[in-house]
Amino acid sequence: MDTLGLIASILYQFGTNAAFLLISAIGLIVILGMMRIINLAHGELMMMGAYTATIAFHRGIPFPIAAILSFFVVAVAGAIIERLVVRRFYGRELGALVVTWGISLILGQTTLVIFGPFMQAIAIPAGSFALGQFSFSVYGIALIVIAVLLLVALWWIYTRTTFGLQARATMQNPAMARALGVNTDRIYMLTFALGAGLAGFSGALMAPTVSIAPFMGQQFVAPAFITVVVGGAANVLTGAAGSSLLLSLVKTPIGFLFGAFLGTVALLLAALIIIRLMPNGISAYLQRFADGRVGR
Amino acid sequence: MSRLIALINGDEDLGRSVWFWLAAALVVLGFALLPLWESEFGAYNISFYLLNIPLALGLCMLWGYCGVLSFGQVAYFGVAAYVYGIIAGNMIGNNWGPIVASLGGLLACAVVGTVFGYFVFYARVQAWIVPILTLVFTLLLETFLGQTAGYQWRVGIVQLGGYNGMTAIPPFQIGSHMFMGYSFFYYALIVVLACYLGCRMLVNSQRGKTMLAIREDDLRAELLGYDIRRHQLVVFVLAAMLAGVSGLLYVQWGNYITPTQVGLLQAALPVVWVAVGGRERLLAVLISTFALNWFNYKLATQGNQYAPVYMGALLVIVMLFFPRGIIVTVAEFFRGRRWKAT
Repeated sequence: MDTLGLIASILYQFGTNAAFLLISAIGLIVILGMMRIINLAHGELMMMGAYTATIAFHRGIPFPIAAILSFFVVAVAGAIIERLVVRRFYGRELGALVVTWGISLILGQTTLVIFGPFMQAIAIPAGSFALGQFSFSVYGIALIVIAVLLLVALWWIYTRTTFGLQARATMQNPAMARALGVNTDRIYMLTFALGAGLAGFSGALMAPTVSIAPFMGQQFVAPAFITVVVGGAANVLTGAAGSSLLLSLVKTPIGFLFGAFLGTVALLLAALIIIRLMPNGISAYLQRFADGRVGR
Repeated sequence: MSRLIALINGDEDLGRSVWFWLAAALVVLGFALLPLWESEFGAYNISFYLLNIPLALGLCMLWGYCGVLSFGQVAYFGVAAYVYGIIAGNMIGNNWGPIVASLGGLLACAVVGTVFGYFVFYARVQAWIVPILTLVFTLLLETFLGQTAGYQWRVGIVQLGGYNGMTAIPPFQIGSHMFMGYSFFYYALIVVLACYLGCRMLVNSQRGKTMLAIREDDLRAELLGYDIRRHQLVVFVLAAMLAGVSGLLYVQWGNYITPTQVGLLQAALPVVWVAVGGRERLLAVLISTFALNWFNYKLATQGNQYAPVYMGALLVIVMLFFPRGIIVTVAEFFRGRRWKAT
């Protein structure tokens, strides 16, 4: 029984770490994969999601609905940011990085001024159960399930809907997509809104596990950026899944033995080594493997 | 001598006319005569506006001239500052301690920059990965330094101090002369001028032309036989050491460093200074760094909590409407002709 519990506990740790990485990075990955833009305001969008969920929750709205509400609120904010600022930076990767950082400064400090440094926390929903001497949080398992569901939903959107088809066409060849009647402007706006909304949703999901503060996003951006860098931009979904699993493989044992901070340091070191071996990220590597050919 | 003048007065920076050099000489003279028109406290403040200039010049070369964006320059600032604090603190009482500590700080920057840069540049990563990884490095450094509170985190007799920071760091000293007040101001002024002229000579040199070639078209530069990885790494390490110079000046000025100096908010500021001035011209960055530090310091001393909002808004506005930087745009306007668009 105890061996079973130990195995379950290791799997649980591994799964929650991977789910954490995937959930914090998914919004970033959607935007990067489509538009070759890294959204440095990602942490602040997560913060907005957490604030929305917290405020809604304390008004008496059940947590799952509050989290979904966060998705839509932050998606609208993302669409506004895209219309006003980001759309002028397509094709200028570094410019987009810098301008979204400016946005993140504005969002973070404005929140501090409006809401003050702290906010009432949300208790972790659901309880926990024990298997042998190991205890498991239901919410942790829910996060793993949600991470998988998010991947499935994105896969469905990108491969089974008209929007997904047009989005992939825009990604491959924007000029040709426009010539064939795809409104690429609208696709870009919707993609950015989707990425922002996912950031807000993930912020809401993380809200019960951390303290809610204006600069709370900062603790998520380092792991999220590493996941994205390791995943690469070649294929959004395989990159996201592959890199969060691989990085969890690094983080789980080191975090378990030496503490959470060194776990994150190990992530950075792993990222440096992985990009040294696979400069275009794990997604390009997997893609090449799947295509069964060598070279680009 | 004429080669030296040609290097300093080459075409890769603003200000090449006789009138410019006369004006520049007047400004430097005005600074040199500072004790006549400013109190010692004023000199102390002006030193602060000066001391971030080397860091900004390093980022300017890296981003504007070499096309490599780094968000982690404050990490090297912090590395130099902490290493200086550790060495100088342990050698306290020794007249030559601060010089050894300064060299140690710069060496630490060079080593960290080389190791980090090796992995990044020799992997030939895409352009957007460098700023992300440098930013992550900065975040981790801040987290690490933040949790070093307590007696067990000490090197020799110096405690790292967690978020309370490292305190009582010795000022710079040569022999028995300690640089404080006016004499620190002169020391900072000379260091900043030396860094500026050195950078200006570098960008006008053969290596500077290679940097521009890599920025314009890295594939073509590589096909012409230049090892772009090595060139990028060298400039990266140089920029790290310039950030280290600023870090040294900062701790020698304030005798104090906290992990906040390495934080995300601080990391954004050099990008703002460089973008606002104009990343492709060193002089523009020098002026904007001085001006924005002055502005930020005034806001901070008034306890204005909107300072980061102003900086963020300034960054967004500049990137939207003056992508080449405000000072560069103005200089172009007065010169009446444009450089080739880049």
